[in-house]
Amino acid sequence: MRDVIVVGAGGGGPVVAKELAERGLDVLLLEAGPRHAHPREEWTHYENDANHPLTGFFRFGPADRAKSAWFRETPQSSFVMQLSGVGGTTQHYFANSPRAYPGVFSGCSGPDAGAYDIRHRFPFPYAELVPYYEWVEATLPVRTAAMGTKEEVYFQGCETLGIPVQTALTTTGDSYRPQQNAILQPGGHAGRTSDPRLLVFPRSTGCTFCGHCSQGCMQPVRAPRNQFAKRSTDNSYVPMALTADAWSPGGRAAELITDAFVTRVHTEAGAATGVTWRTGATGESHREDARVVVLAGGCTENPRLWHNSGLPDPNGWVGRGLTDHHLDFVVGVFDHDVGNSRGAGSAARCDFPGRGALEQTGFPPALQALILTTSDSGIRGAYTNGRGLYGPWDGPTGRVFGPRLAELMQDGGHDRLLNILVLTDDDVQPGNRVLPSAFPADAHGPVPKVEVHQRRRSARTLANREFLARKATALLRGAGARAVLRVDMFPVPLHVQSSLRTGLDPGTSVLDADCRSRAVDRLYVADNSALANSLGGPNPTLTTQALATRTAERVFTRVFGGDPWVRTGAPVVSTDVRVSRRLADLGL
Amino acid sequence: MTEPLPPSSPPLPRRVFLARTGVLGAAGAGLAGARGRVAAAPVPGVEELIALVRPVLTRLALDAFRGLAAFALPGDDAHSRAQGTPRGRAGGVAAEAGDLVVASLDRFVPFPQEVARPLTMALVTATAEAGIGLPRHLPPELGRLDAALRLLLRGDEKIPLSFVAAVLLGVLATRVHPAAADGPFLSPFSRLSYRDKTRVFELLEHTDSDLVALLDTHLPQPLRGSVSGLLKYLGSGLLSLVSFGCFTEHAVWDAGRRDITALPVGWRLTGYDGRADGLDDLKGYYRGRKEAVGHA
Repeated sequence: MRDVIVVGAGGGGPVVAKELAERGLDVLLLEAGPRHAHPREEWTHYENDANHPLTGFFRFGPADRAKSAWFRETPQSSFVMQLSGVGGTTQHYFANSPRAYPGVFSGCSGPDAGAYDIRHRFPFPYAELVPYYEWVEATLPVRTAAMGTKEEVYFQGCETLGIPVQTALTTTGDSYRPQQNAILQPGGHAGRTSDPRLLVFPRSTGCTFCGHCSQGCMQPVRAPRNQFAKRSTDNSYVPMALTADAWSPGGRAAELITDAFVTRVHTEAGAATGVTWRTGATGESHREDARVVVLAGGCTENPRLWHNSGLPDPNGWVGRGLTDHHLDFVVGVFDHDVGNSRGAGSAARCDFPGRGALEQTGFPPALQALILTTSDSGIRGAYTNGRGLYGPWDGPTGRVFGPRLAELMQDGGHDRLLNILVLTDDDVQPGNRVLPSAFPADAHGPVPKVEVHQRRRSARTLANREFLARKATALLRGAGARAVLRVDMFPVPLHVQSSLRTGLDPGTSVLDADCRSRAVDRLYVADNSALANSLGGPNPTLTTQALATRTAERVFTRVFGGDPWVRTGAPVVSTDVRVSRRLADLGL
Repeated sequence: MTEPLPPSSPPLPRRVFLARTGVLGAAGAGLAGARGRVAAAPVPGVEELIALVRPVLTRLALDAFRGLAAFALPGDDAHSRAQGTPRGRAGGVAAEAGDLVVASLDRFVPFPQEVARPLTMALVTATAEAGIGLPRHLPPELGRLDAALRLLLRGDEKIPLSFVAAVLLGVLATRVHPAAADGPFLSPFSRLSYRDKTRVFELLEHTDSDLVALLDTHLPQPLRGSVSGLLKYLGSGLLSLVSFGCFTEHAVWDAGRRDITALPVGWRLTGYDGRADGLDDLKGYYRGRKEAVGHA
């Protein structure tokens, strides 16, 4: 009998595992995908090797790359960009770590209080989460991002928008700023050279500006895993969880088992008692019991596991209310190099509380080409799918394809593009959901179907997206773009939230204010699916991690009788040398 | 804004729906309530004939997706010339983006045979109607695509998704341009102009109602009604995957060394080189601020 089993080692699960292992609990962390214990031996910077959605080392599939990816039904033009493996989707994330807007929490009373998804707020005030934000920001750690060429260009555009620079951590109004990123700032030669002799730890520390956030961070060369620049959970929380006995008095190292796909949550007398998982390599099933089960398999897989386990869903909201920031891309075409493929993936942003956010994003060429095709408006200039939106951008929305793609990309063209990702404050809508698919089951049971009704969003959501696309266009014009292209993206659930949402109203939420299931005792949720809403547009990981820290504290105090620590303690930073030493002892 | 009218094309005659059970012969057996593996009883001699048509269908699929690669990134290849957009530099075909699509569809999409087989059955009907020909070196009774597919369905081997997708593109190609049923290239899709290729994808994404109805009637319950979403997903997925493949290293990849053997076509076109572990692009901090100020 374990104390706690955490299902999923992505952005949220390892936070719970680390916090409870630090306090001496017996924690088992299960991950369906690969371990990726030795990135330098397993990863490369090559885009097909890394990012091919079916075969890359970053994909949603089993540990054995020779086996097929996992099929998920999406009954629309769509692509679910979730990853399996230790670190989950943080493996390829850009580490943007803004806080949610205060207006998405209960008790918001400012002049903008009515500007958000007011029926689906968090069940507690913003101030309640601030200590947990601070704890996570110190643990990762989160730092103000350095600038590269593309950020300089982006800021030139920001300076023409008539909005102020935000310097504090809490967003209180329309503003722009460098990102707060979970990326170590460049030190030594990092960011100043491409000479491999100098790009070695400790001659270089932190972000080396390699341009490969999407391919996973293993920089600088020879750095200990917990001192890699990007603080994805495989580089931060997981190393801490596995070495908790080395740096925490009374700590107990968590156990991590990978290639372990959880297929069932067991209950007795209305409480969770353990899980069964299937080992991919052998097909064998294993069962372990625990006093507490924490789901952290992601917005798609948690509802699937819930349904496949036959857990109660009394109000029908399991899997419902999925939010995805109704993403869009607006791309500026410049006459000069803007450094699209260099530096951190995203290091600058704008915030418009009540509307959403914009962030500058950079990509290597294949992902850039992919992004230019993710449109719901057909092929630009050929057909429109009934959309083909016109506005202050140039021409209709649509895929950039064929001769136009070649012209745009050739002779350094990919580095003359500046992408702005539109992060819409989108409403929780019950019709956007995860449900069991009618397609044949796989080895883990019925597969999930991810239904996103792209064109049936609330009026507020649609208006927000249009507002942001226009702001992005103005920004790019202000920065000197020769042309501005708008993609009108089809659903790419990249930021996904709220499919097992916490909330005040028991009629429209699955979790109570402690992120505990209302229907099953001792069953908690600690990833993006627990979020109450789309946070107003800010990237979700930091808020998920703060919420997961709070959930861990609730589990520790309510189930195990321990004392809370966040308001009274001081966090250990994940780069701590004691973690590095123990990782070396473990061969990690 | 109003929905544009889909491109005009001859509707599929109603009799194809009535004929669907007859046209399939033995392959139609065992479909009812198909949630398990669908397999027809082996017929003597069938495997030998399948061995004749399988390589032809493989080449047809590869040709279709090379036509797709030229569509995504035109270059100095025959497919780009045929679609009327030749360029003086290597493009998607040389980058082997079409080959990548075929390999991806066949080896890594966990596409259930319970869906692939009924879709193929529906495509037998559609290809018969379109009169899509095959190379003349095959036995006369296998000289048409519908006959080859019918034969394939009588075997017990997995039907590659690349066949299904390529035949679907072929059927739609003949709907936007009936003469594409015959001509240079193996795949009707590769015989189209660039403009007509866009019309094929318009039909795929706009979900041509006759085609959807035909495919849907062959699907077992509870999958009826899911074809429209499946086609949208397939159409957008093909366009995204092939664009991605135009700029990646897969064609020059040495899996043993985990490295490239030459510069990829897409890198040569763009001038990109993504191998460094760091770059000289640090410009400092915006207005000199290295940390957040205050805790509002």
